[in-house]
Amino acid sequence: MAVFLELLVNGVSVGAVYALIALGFVVIFKATEVVNFTHASLLLAGGYVIARMHPLIGFWAALAAGIVAAALVGALVEFLILRRAHVGSRGVLAIVTIGVDILLTTELTRRIGTEVLALGDPWGDRVLRLGPITVAETRVVALAVAGALIAAFLLAFTFTGWGVAMRATAEDAETAALMGVRLGRVSLSAWAVAGALAAVAALFLCVFPTPGLDRGTAAVAMKAFPAAILGGLDSTSGALAGGLIVGVTETLMNGYQSELVFLGRGIGDAAPFLVMIVILLLRPSGLFGTKEQARV
Amino acid sequence: MSDPTPSAATPGRGVLRAALWLPVLAAAVVVPFYLEGFWLQAGLFAMSAAIGAIGINLLTGAAGQLSLGHAFFLAAGAYSYVYLSSDVGLPTPLAALAAVAVAGVCGGLFSPIAGRLKGAYLGIATLALIFVGQHILFNAEPVTGGFNGRPVPPMELFGFVFADTPELVVLDVPFGSLERLWFLGLALLAGAAAFARGVLRGRPGLALIAIRDQEIAAGVMGVPVARYRAGVFVLSSMYGGLAGVLVALVFQRVVPDHFGILLSLDHLAMIVIGGLGSVGGAVAGAAFVSLLPQLLTRYGDALPLVAEPGSGGVSPAEAARILYGAAVVAVVLFLPGGLAGLATRLGRVRLKELKWAKSAAAPESRR
Amino acid sequence: MGEISSRAGIAALALLSLAVAATGCASGKATGGGDAGAASDDGVRTGPGVAATTITVSALTDLTGPYASFGKSQTQAQQLYFDQVNASGGVCGRKYELVVRDHGYDTQKAVAAYTEVAPRSAAIAQFIGSPMITALKQRIDGDKLLTIPMAWATTLLGSRAIQVTGTTYDIDMINGVEFLTKEKGVQPGDKIGHLYFEGDYGESALNGSKYAADKLGLQVVEQKIKATDQDMSAQVAAFKAAGVKAVLVSVGPRQTASLVGVSLAKGMDVPFVGSNSAYSPQLLGTPAGPALLKDFYYISAGTPVSVKNPAMQKLVADYQAKYPGETLDSGVPTGWSAAMIVDEAMRKACEAKDLSRDGVLTAHRSQSGFGGDFGTPMDFTFFDRPASRSSYVLKPDKAALGGAVVFREPEVSALAKDYPIPTS
Repeated sequence: MAVFLELLVNGVSVGAVYALIALGFVVIFKATEVVNFTHASLLLAGGYVIARMHPLIGFWAALAAGIVAAALVGALVEFLILRRAHVGSRGVLAIVTIGVDILLTTELTRRIGTEVLALGDPWGDRVLRLGPITVAETRVVALAVAGALIAAFLLAFTFTGWGVAMRATAEDAETAALMGVRLGRVSLSAWAVAGALAAVAALFLCVFPTPGLDRGTAAVAMKAFPAAILGGLDSTSGALAGGLIVGVTETLMNGYQSELVFLGRGIGDAAPFLVMIVILLLRPSGLFGTKEQARV
Repeated sequence: MSDPTPSAATPGRGVLRAALWLPVLAAAVVVPFYLEGFWLQAGLFAMSAAIGAIGINLLTGAAGQLSLGHAFFLAAGAYSYVYLSSDVGLPTPLAALAAVAVAGVCGGLFSPIAGRLKGAYLGIATLALIFVGQHILFNAEPVTGGFNGRPVPPMELFGFVFADTPELVVLDVPFGSLERLWFLGLALLAGAAAFARGVLRGRPGLALIAIRDQEIAAGVMGVPVARYRAGVFVLSSMYGGLAGVLVALVFQRVVPDHFGILLSLDHLAMIVIGGLGSVGGAVAGAAFVSLLPQLLTRYGDALPLVAEPGSGGVSPAEAARILYGAAVVAVVLFLPGGLAGLATRLGRVRLKELKWAKSAAAPESRR
Repeated sequence: MGEISSRAGIAALALLSLAVAATGCASGKATGGGDAGAASDDGVRTGPGVAATTITVSALTDLTGPYASFGKSQTQAQQLYFDQVNASGGVCGRKYELVVRDHGYDTQKAVAAYTEVAPRSAAIAQFIGSPMITALKQRIDGDKLLTIPMAWATTLLGSRAIQVTGTTYDIDMINGVEFLTKEKGVQPGDKIGHLYFEGDYGESALNGSKYAADKLGLQVVEQKIKATDQDMSAQVAAFKAAGVKAVLVSVGPRQTASLVGVSLAKGMDVPFVGSNSAYSPQLLGTPAGPALLKDFYYISAGTPVSVKNPAMQKLVADYQAKYPGETLDSGVPTGWSAAMIVDEAMRKACEAKDLSRDGVLTAHRSQSGFGGDFGTPMDFTFFDRPASRSSYVLKPDKAALGGAVVFREPEVSALAKDYPIPTS
């Protein structure tokens, strides 16, 4: 039982980081209906700036710089490329983001080179003890931040003009434009916000229990895809739920690897995707996603 | 395919087309006699990529359905070929056919999901194929050989073996496995391209485009949407399977690492660069994406800006990645329709000039 | 219409046959031009890659993928080696030419690069990546091309042309387990954890740990991960729950750092023993550094750069002079000694006046006591078993050059000596 609880708590803590990454996907999808593969390189960009800046200006200032830099990169990608792309469908825009991701990732990994960069966070390798269970402090903070950000987004979507504009765009872009919503601005702000979120996620991705930022860091973004889709690609609370489900599934499957040996060793990596398929078969738009309704 | 003036235009077009295709055909036949193994292998990789890209172009380009799982179907084809020929003992051509069928069945098994999900949701769901597929490739050792992979038995067609032995010399040029496979690859690619062309130009192609552009309207007009969606998924999987068989024959050994997410992303980049929904575009895009890194690695030292490997600076492999990413972006920004679109536009200009010249000369020829 | 198109068809056929016929005489590929097995002016039989004044040696390496840091050190060390040999007059009246190809740890690119360089290479002094070499094993064997893989999986043994240097991963783990029982208080009946990568690196290592555990009455708790996994919390929880007394580590440096850091933070204070690819000195600068300095060791047949023998000191000085500011990791002596193996084979082959591929292999396989300065001594006369069964126990050290010092001098454990190599 203690083992189960320990794994569960760890799963939730990993899930918090996935949720933060997934939240970035969701914001962009909600505003523009584009699946954003560039998110992986936005993570890398944010993390890189934090890692390079913290010895010079201290951690908190570096974090702020990382958030601003990643937001800027996100906004630039939208402004310079996606806005001007001549394509027929959203699916093709997704492929365009793959191209952008390759460009950015290649340049960033070239800069990172062979180093493992520390982010200089204040939590270090401290752990929180809850009876027999231990969990990294960084992860407790990650969970709190993810929860707070998601609450903030829910409030913003309901009460601010920006949120209303975004929801209107998601509902029906053409009508929203006719009603005076500036689509370009909505899409630009979504990309900037996603970039900022990516920097925050990168922070928690690269601190203890992982050793730091290196060229392989961005690969984790792939795991946030099932998280985002499980909850529903256009649902912010879904991102949290999806992240936690993926984190817990993966951790439990890894922890009980020896008992589950008939599934093949290393099932922890494939399991989130299997869970994703099952959930999508039951609910094609994810747990909290909006169902696409068509009237003929 | 209706031509307003068939009697006057067809012979001219026929000759024109023959004149266009002849050098291509001649070049393709002559290539193995001149170029060294490196080029033949690069060409074979490009042919395999082209077959795979045609498949994904039917799905993503024509039917508008994003799929990230294409590499899984390549793996299904490659591994089925090995298993069916080595363990089950089927004759190799039959094993290759069956492998393509197996890839199709895999696509069919996924179609309940493919039929239920739409757009972005299906795109991401297909990611599962890659990760679950890799898990199976690594763990189902008796069939897949695990991390170690398995040797690929050479294809044997009517007693002719596509391998280095027995030795074969054609016109003084030693014909090893690559030279022999070159012709097999050409034949497969030509067949795959012709079939896809037929599909796209016939009723199914129109139906797919209708589904892509206006799904509900297509349904109302009597297009069986779900059946076409599942059908094109299966067909594209079979193309993936065929590409997998060819790549396995070229590799001579299948290893699981090859069939990862990067392979899927490469195929998507190919069709965007080449031109969505066009067979020729898929081939051109495949050639671009698969040949670019090899050219840069080989001739990197002769190019400015590209640094010697290991010396710091932008290495050839990095330059290739950057160019390939930039090509995707540049195409959507400046070249709608991709390479195929470019070719069509150039072709249209040329044809116009030609027509003009012909109409001027017409009275005399009608004597 | 019919007439015209059939005429076009005939013209096409004629042109085609003309083109094909023309190739026979003009192609450089035509037989008769090849110099395989031919003797050059100086009476030395030559083969592919050996010209009148040059010997071409290739390096198929990873400079942009996951093993970029390792690949860079090795490539630079090899460049240094061949430059020095050339400066001192070369070998057999010829100078070395090193052709470097970066495959970025991608199988297809590696196969393509091999196809490009193999026909014009006399040897491959460096080939990174077990999946890549595995994919090409049959071809390398058929081409009789002396190849030094920079991977130590047991499955790479068994080819006359492929020379795995030093120990394989399973031998290292057997020596590691014996080290744990002798010096770290692991008792029969205890459980030991083994964290390993999917693929031949991890699974070769696991073979060794299972063998040793079986012989010593230990029980192995397995945890398999992928190279993309970063956070080892779940694995630590599982090890902790099982009550392991020590953990073997056959993963990448990143995962090692996470494992050791999380274990200590969670109060699982046990010794860790890694394979030679599990550690990298870059880790000491990260927050996981202190944990690695505590009770982590790694096993390798390669001598660390901090050892003070004259040959190593000269290499270090020369390397630092040519590449100032570059990291000095284990890749430097590893790459250097691989280049040396190729060079020795060429020299021996030159003495026998046979630089053909077969001649080089024969010369190479005639050496039974190679090296000692950069790694444990190796025997090249067989190829179905590892060239060495003796490995160092090394320990991270922040002050030392290359970030590691010798903790225990090389030893062949009794178990490793009798270990039957599994045949694949």
